[in-house]
Amino acid sequence: MGSVEFNHVYKYYKGESNPSVHDFHLTIEDGEFLVMVGPSGCGKSTTLRMLAGLEDVSKGDIYIDGKFMNYVSPKDRDIAMVFQNYALYPNLTVYENMALGLQLHKVAKHDIELRVNRAARMLEISAYLTKKPNQLSGGQKQRVALGRALVREPKVFLMDEPLSNLDAKLRTQTRMEISKLHKQLNTTMVYVTHDQTEAMTMGTRIVVMKDGNIEQVAPPQRLYDSPDNLFVAGFIGTPQMNFLQGTIATHDGEYFFENKRLKLKIHDSYIPHIKAANRKIREVILGIRPEYVACEGWALEAYPEWQASAIIDMIEPMGSNTFLFATIGKDTVISRAEPHTPIQIGETVKLVIHMDKAHLFDCESGVSLAVRGDR
Amino acid sequence: MIRKIRKQMTLSRVVLIVFLSCIAVFMLLPIIFLFNNAFKPLNELFLFPPTIFVQHPTMRNFEQLLLHTAAGVVPFSRYLFNSLLISGITLVAVVLVSTMAGYVLSKHRFHFKRLIMALIMISLMFVPETVMIPRYLMMSGLKLTDTYFAHILPFIAAPVAVFLMKQFIDQIPDALVESAKLDGATDMTVFTRIIIPLTAPAVATVCIITFQAVFLDTETSMNYITNETMKTMAYYVTAFTSNVPGVAAVSISAAVGLLMFVPNLILFLLFQRKMIQTMLHSGVK
Repeated sequence: MGSVEFNHVYKYYKGESNPSVHDFHLTIEDGEFLVMVGPSGCGKSTTLRMLAGLEDVSKGDIYIDGKFMNYVSPKDRDIAMVFQNYALYPNLTVYENMALGLQLHKVAKHDIELRVNRAARMLEISAYLTKKPNQLSGGQKQRVALGRALVREPKVFLMDEPLSNLDAKLRTQTRMEISKLHKQLNTTMVYVTHDQTEAMTMGTRIVVMKDGNIEQVAPPQRLYDSPDNLFVAGFIGTPQMNFLQGTIATHDGEYFFENKRLKLKIHDSYIPHIKAANRKIREVILGIRPEYVACEGWALEAYPEWQASAIIDMIEPMGSNTFLFATIGKDTVISRAEPHTPIQIGETVKLVIHMDKAHLFDCESGVSLAVRGDR
Repeated sequence: MIRKIRKQMTLSRVVLIVFLSCIAVFMLLPIIFLFNNAFKPLNELFLFPPTIFVQHPTMRNFEQLLLHTAAGVVPFSRYLFNSLLISGITLVAVVLVSTMAGYVLSKHRFHFKRLIMALIMISLMFVPETVMIPRYLMMSGLKLTDTYFAHILPFIAAPVAVFLMKQFIDQIPDALVESAKLDGATDMTVFTRIIIPLTAPAVATVCIITFQAVFLDTETSMNYITNETMKTMAYYVTAFTSNVPGVAAVSISAAVGLLMFVPNLILFLLFQRKMIQTMLHSGVK
């Protein structure tokens, strides 16, 4: 049982006019794996630390499991946290590191032994229990840090960028293990990261933050498919979503996205949103993911109204597919093509922009013209 | 050619090592002399030219020392007892106060923290002579003259130790303290189980500094103490060597010189390894 509720939480630091966390309002269900993601300094760590009780809440309430937590000290919140630098006690052995929390909570000795050994088996660190942290590798330290949180059997796990000190291969592996662990334990986890891959692969729900504000809260796939605004659209996905500036124009009752070089018919499914936006012509930004920019022959035949001509600037072969960097006027558009594409650098090609998968954002506010949650 | 260079290299090396060894031995001379002198019989003490090594070691000097009484009533052992008691209590108190103060100043957030730190820094800058009279006024005002408190209390306010501990505890990552708090530790548990074991080298340094300062201090006995039975060995030694005339003084001072030195040596040998150790960042990153 470990639901978490943030009720309009603010954090002001002394001497700063802008709040570090601005109106954070969110309920985390029991058993959820919530990932908070955003660029550094966006307030995600501060939010986590407020939940842990390491920072005071300036305004608003935090509830864990329905209980008001603002003034409860960290040790009484029934939470466990994994830190970025692991924060293992260098003077204690691995076993003592894991047992300390239980000892301090006056758990019986045989019970401590049982729990530590079980966690050690689960994380495959049984062999290192008598070692000191400085004798372990980064990955092993990370497991010990996880184990230390695990033995506590808390209501909520908090993780503050736990993988950022590991090398790439180990990171992928540990990522999977944490996901598996979550499925096994079914405990609420709140995970902070700046890495969008971690966010996408691990979270059941993702909170995207920027400058202390929540930009969007959604499950990973929905976040990818229908971002609420330009920031989320640009932040999630590699390579980044393509952005093209232009206007919406009407010709004979049909809607078009236009700029100097382009004239693309807007897909029917998007028209109600434009109408609802209540202004006929306005500056917009068209967002399209690289996988929906095609250069194959069949697409060119199938969608004559969504074509644009472009010059290939650079080709990045990734093995499984190839990224084409093309220029349309001043804008660069990335297209994901088949791995063995015959296209050469400098060639002028026709690209198909799949307008049924495109997003339109208000140029001024950056907000999507539609929150197309059901598409 | 290469061999020649190599030969030159090793030669310069050898010269360097011999040179440094000579300096080391030269530095050791006073200590060797001290040890030998303490066991010299009277005729060897007055030998000219003086010798470094003792030829017929004897315990007579120590015998004389134990038999001698200052001001006719106070035996030497009383001074020794005073010194050891005061040094011991002060050492424990200073370590306790400075580590706690260092921990709070380093890892806690509270009002006027900067001001307090600045005051501590400023107090580092005073010459001891400037505070001698105000300190006397405080001591007599509190009616603490002629007590052990007069010896101990002034040393407990040890800005150097607080500063040293604060700097050292600053190096311990905040995450360690936070993690311990989430584990359910109180401030006291964090302090005793995490901070103290990790700052052992700094504690050792503080111990050595404090012990030397207290053990060798004569000012307190001179200024705040009139009762002869409350004075320390350091005072006894300086008073003795400058005041007592005659042949006996030479033999006693030879013995007492060694006695003054030995506690320092023991403490240094105990803590020097800790001082060199820098184990702090081993568990992090």
